[in-house]
Amino acid sequence: MTKQTNDLSRARIFKAIEDASQNTNMDKQAIDAEALDILSESEFARPQLLSSDASEALMMRIDAGLVIGTTCEKIDSLMNLPNAVKQFFSQHNLPSVLKVQALESLTSLSWEDIAIDVDIQQDNTVGLCMAEYGVAETGSFVVHSSANMPILLNFLPLYLIAVVAKSKVLHYMDDYALIANAIAKKGETPRNMCLISGVSGTTDIEGVLVQGAHGPERLHVIIIEDK
Amino acid sequence: MQVNKPENFNENVIKALSQPNLKKVIRRTTDKAESKRAEAVASFPEFEKARLQGQKVKDHTIKHMGHYLAEFEKNAIAQGTIVHWASTAEEASKIVLDICRQHQAKTVTRSKSMLGEEIGLTHAFDNSEIERIETDLAEHIIQLAGDPPSHIVWPAMHRSREDVVKLFREFHKDPTQSEEIVDLVASARRDLRAKFLNSDIGISGSNFLLADSGSSCTVTNEGNAELTITPPKVHIVTAGIEKLVPSMAHAVPLLRLLTRSATGADITQYITFHNGPKRPNDADGPEECHIVLVDNGRTKMLANGMKEMLRCIRCGACMNHCVVYKHIGGHAYGSVYPGPMGSVLTPHLNSLEVANKQTHACTMNGRCEEVCPVNIPLPSLLRSLRAQSWEQKYEPLTNRFFVNVFAQVAKRPRLFQFASACSLIAMKIFSRNGWIRFMPMASGWTRNRDLIAPDTNTFMQQYNAQQKAKKLTTKP
Repeated sequence: MTKQTNDLSRARIFKAIEDASQNTNMDKQAIDAEALDILSESEFARPQLLSSDASEALMMRIDAGLVIGTTCEKIDSLMNLPNAVKQFFSQHNLPSVLKVQALESLTSLSWEDIAIDVDIQQDNTVGLCMAEYGVAETGSFVVHSSANMPILLNFLPLYLIAVVAKSKVLHYMDDYALIANAIAKKGETPRNMCLISGVSGTTDIEGVLVQGAHGPERLHVIIIEDK
Repeated sequence: MQVNKPENFNENVIKALSQPNLKKVIRRTTDKAESKRAEAVASFPEFEKARLQGQKVKDHTIKHMGHYLAEFEKNAIAQGTIVHWASTAEEASKIVLDICRQHQAKTVTRSKSMLGEEIGLTHAFDNSEIERIETDLAEHIIQLAGDPPSHIVWPAMHRSREDVVKLFREFHKDPTQSEEIVDLVASARRDLRAKFLNSDIGISGSNFLLADSGSSCTVTNEGNAELTITPPKVHIVTAGIEKLVPSMAHAVPLLRLLTRSATGADITQYITFHNGPKRPNDADGPEECHIVLVDNGRTKMLANGMKEMLRCIRCGACMNHCVVYKHIGGHAYGSVYPGPMGSVLTPHLNSLEVANKQTHACTMNGRCEEVCPVNIPLPSLLRSLRAQSWEQKYEPLTNRFFVNVFAQVAKRPRLFQFASACSLIAMKIFSRNGWIRFMPMASGWTRNRDLIAPDTNTFMQQYNAQQKAKKLTTKP
């Protein structure tokens, strides 16, 4: 498509909108104020959490089976992570191989006989990542793309373990939106921000739920007590 | 499968009603969606408040559409996204194809987007040298079957497990011998995995466009959007301009409404915000990112008193609760968008002249408006389209003649009462011995169902009798 056609369409769309509008003639400030006013209703228009403590509420939600294909546990410190992973392996009868996200804090743990750099393009792998945030409302963890967070790490493995620091568990999606806004103001918005709430599922054949449609079939969320 | 056209709605309906299993197949999905939505709403007492807030978010954005579009463009460009504008469907799909050709793409993966269907992208690729790979499981099934989608959330709901077994055995490289649904899904997983990783271009739609950051947001349960977008070098987003919201915080209430209304889940498994191409050191992601902003009739809706329709977040609740949709299914509408929302949208995307019959199918029972997560007054919009259609004289002459006759009679109470009393007598004769099935001019109704024999008295006769009885009993 030529630049002229593109510009012409752009002009046409803006003209049509202007012609149709009940012209309000509000300036940017007034529009922003109106937009902000709508957000003040959020507090009364969202579901109650299962606990006032965010990480507690997140875990209760998962334990209640409200997050598809997901289990969770809490551990005292990152040091205990390899042990928790070993338990996960034996629970699901998996070989001791996985892909650990290339973060110093994770790779430097004592993994002993566990191989931590498997190729995730193969199908039956386990992935382990450190989430940026957790969200109690939806039982989600949040990841941001970066140099050491390949987005595909969360989508290719058949099993996924997500580690969330207790202090990073937020109450509501609105709280995450505020954080995202602050990141954007600093001009540091990552390419991808993913809220993940459960495993890859489909109901496309006769309405029957199947887990592991393209990505993970099982998800294990580990909350770390320390910061 | 032959693609139905909206102008042949009446014929499409006759065809649909004569398919013995269709109703069962439709209700398998819609009834489940209906009860799951009801559960989700019941366990979220704040739903009404959320709904009002969602409506406000949409109305505010629509009111300041020009402002937010300009903001979105500015911020998307700042993120490194290349922004394109398309007035029509043809322009939009040409822009997408041109980008693919510039990159000499051989294969494109596509994550389900109804807008993509609306702008004819699927056909444009099928008529080109570029291979299109649908990655949503339902879209994958209907691509193999060569069907159009029959529902906006479950596009393959008209296909049974047996159909899927046949299709996968024919088309998958390593098909399963099992007929279990879980094995069928695994077969699709095997087949699509390599295709995700080797695609040249990933195409997605967008559930929300965030004006203050230039982000596009995808919502899926399968995670196929991220797998479609991340591996290829180029990401193309196609989105209607009504997808705008001011910010992520404004998308949140709509997310709460969307999934509860669509599938009855509190949230979908994957919500991802996409912000342009990969950053210099990113571990993965596309190097180039385009977004095509599409009008295709949306500004026309704004001008024609249909702006409430631009609130629509494509949840499908209106069709899941529609008595007409539940009988005839999605294909009869002859449009990408079926059901109540489709009957309002199609006349604007296409024209009222070709898509006016759908508006007459509505029973005005109001269920769609009742369950709409953003309070779109669908019955009123449909009624106003009917009025427009009448004014434009799109109805067949016989209809116009009989409506005029009715109007003349209805304006004269005595004549009306006399005529309805006469019709009762006639109906009584016909209801003897099942003759009612052969009553003249009623075949549209009686072809596929029985006509209930009328009461013995007209409404006015019954009303007068009751009033008389009341007067007698209330007399001191």
